[in-house]
Amino acid sequence: MTGRILILVVAAGLLAVAPARSEVPAETVCIQCHGGQPGQLGAPVKDWPGSVHQRNGISCHDCHGGDPTDFANAMSPERGFIGAPAYEQVPEFCGRCHVGVLADYQESAHGRKVAAGGAQCVICHGSHAVQEASLDLINERDCSRCHEYGRAAEIKTALTETDARFATVSSQFERLKRLGVNTESLNGKLFDLRNRFHRVFHSVEVEKVRAETGGVQAELAEIQVQVDQFDRQFAQRRLWGGAAVGLLLLLGVVLVQVRHTYAEEERGE
Amino acid sequence: MAIVNQLVEFVDRRLGVREIFDKELRGYLLPRKVNAWYTLGAVLLTLFGLQILTGVLLLMYYVPHADQAFASVQRITNEVPYGWLFRMLHAVGANVIVIALLLHMLSVLFMASYKGRREFTWLTGFILFNLAMGLCLTGYLLPWSQLSFWATTVATEAPGAIPVVGDLAVEFLRGGATVGNQTLGRFFALHVVGMPLILLGLIGIHLFCVKRRGISPPPFGADYRAVELPDHFTYEKHPHGIPFFPNYVVKDGAVICFFLALLLGIVFFAPGLFFPESAFEPADPFVTPPGIKPEWYFLWAYQTLKIFPSELIGLGVQGAFMTLLALLPFLDRGPERRPAKRPIFVTVFCLSLLIFLAISIWGHYS
Repeated sequence: MTGRILILVVAAGLLAVAPARSEVPAETVCIQCHGGQPGQLGAPVKDWPGSVHQRNGISCHDCHGGDPTDFANAMSPERGFIGAPAYEQVPEFCGRCHVGVLADYQESAHGRKVAAGGAQCVICHGSHAVQEASLDLINERDCSRCHEYGRAAEIKTALTETDARFATVSSQFERLKRLGVNTESLNGKLFDLRNRFHRVFHSVEVEKVRAETGGVQAELAEIQVQVDQFDRQFAQRRLWGGAAVGLLLLLGVVLVQVRHTYAEEERGE
Repeated sequence: MAIVNQLVEFVDRRLGVREIFDKELRGYLLPRKVNAWYTLGAVLLTLFGLQILTGVLLLMYYVPHADQAFASVQRITNEVPYGWLFRMLHAVGANVIVIALLLHMLSVLFMASYKGRREFTWLTGFILFNLAMGLCLTGYLLPWSQLSFWATTVATEAPGAIPVVGDLAVEFLRGGATVGNQTLGRFFALHVVGMPLILLGLIGIHLFCVKRRGISPPPFGADYRAVELPDHFTYEKHPHGIPFFPNYVVKDGAVICFFLALLLGIVFFAPGLFFPESAFEPADPFVTPPGIKPEWYFLWAYQTLKIFPSELIGLGVQGAFMTLLALLPFLDRGPERRPAKRPIFVTVFCLSLLIFLAISIWGHYS
């Protein structure tokens, strides 16, 4: 309140006011319209919040095209609307952004059989409620829907250790970020590496996964060296900081003692 | 030492500095029972000085534009030599100043040091306190992080509850309908030029008032007596007091050291204490981070607005409380200062403090 009152008072002293209206964030027309629709037409609007796409600002029109600002022409092909893809077109649909994954997928057993009902993106990842990919997606219940789990389990075992290292490095980045370190480029490297790593899943070839995992682990070790350097830097800072705090406390105590001697003099002791 | 003595001699012959030193420092007598609470003024002067020093250093690299502010702060923290240290000292220092200001104000209230025709001293101090809060508020926006952006959005929304002129007041503060580059420009100008200039002037007036009227003795001990004031101005002398220099300066120095140790302790060992996660994300007007809260010292005000059925009533209560506090020396005019002889005041003081703490904690967890 004090600050608010003060700002009002100070602001009142400003001579010129030239308000420049900024854009007010608004919902897209896709959400406004489909949000109120029942069944399949409204379901994506309920599924999308909390998804990895929503968290990264990817909205309806980013995948389905169209004009998110114009009710009348939102679903006009002239405005780039492409709607929902057919089953076998889903890999191409998602692959417009996930380019690397698409290449590996198309060469895999899944990709080669997609026209005959082979697994495509949404079978494993889901669609609108899609979450960040993790190894949990490879599991006996889901894989066994189409084939036996054995080879998938081998791939998962090969990837598990590396994925745990990704999680460790990622949490170290978060810790460094909270200390003010600009982790943007490090995060970029990790993001790129994780994407390359996750691409390998889609080849569903055990040997290829094993070979690629070795390379990824070597690069993770290089990133870890940088993290360790930051940790050493912070440890050194704490050492100097501890010395400075100690010296100030010591000086404070000495001055208190000096004050005591003055106080004795003042009492005439 | 010979060179120093020669230099002092050189200056003394021209300006008579030894005479000033003897009269204003050695000859400046303080009450014999002056306690550690009286050092908070010196602590605050030191901390404000540190803010100016670190602020000037930050100013060399900071870019006050919405497109570049966050990146420039990142550059200061990560690339400029010792930039992280200056930034942390400045940001954490602001919080330590608020702690010292609150302690200073509470001690003055508890010892009723505002009495004895010290209304000007109290009023300038009260305005300084509010000005420091304003500096904190304006400085909070400058890093242009998610925290800065949304905390400022919440804070500048409050005047909107005022009837008729509310919306205009909000737009006036922000320079537009929403917080944006124009708000950053305003807050930057106020933070680095407008408010510091007023602050320095007011500190000068505050110190003049303190020195001119004389130090108010602590109202404790069997020998304390309330003084009847004559009809004209008098300087409150302490003929058997202790010299400010060196007898009391060492105590000032000790408490300053302890406060600086606290500041450095936080900077080096708990750097995230005043920085939630959203302080490290660039401002995004399209993504509201969950659980955004104002700084800890504004939590009481934030929660007060939520307690009452309308924000206008909340604002009114806050305004009434602050007005009452500002005018306290004009309302509480009795000569008695001993806390033991002022049970009603002490009860209200303790209750107010407890309510302030409770509402702040409530605001934090709400």
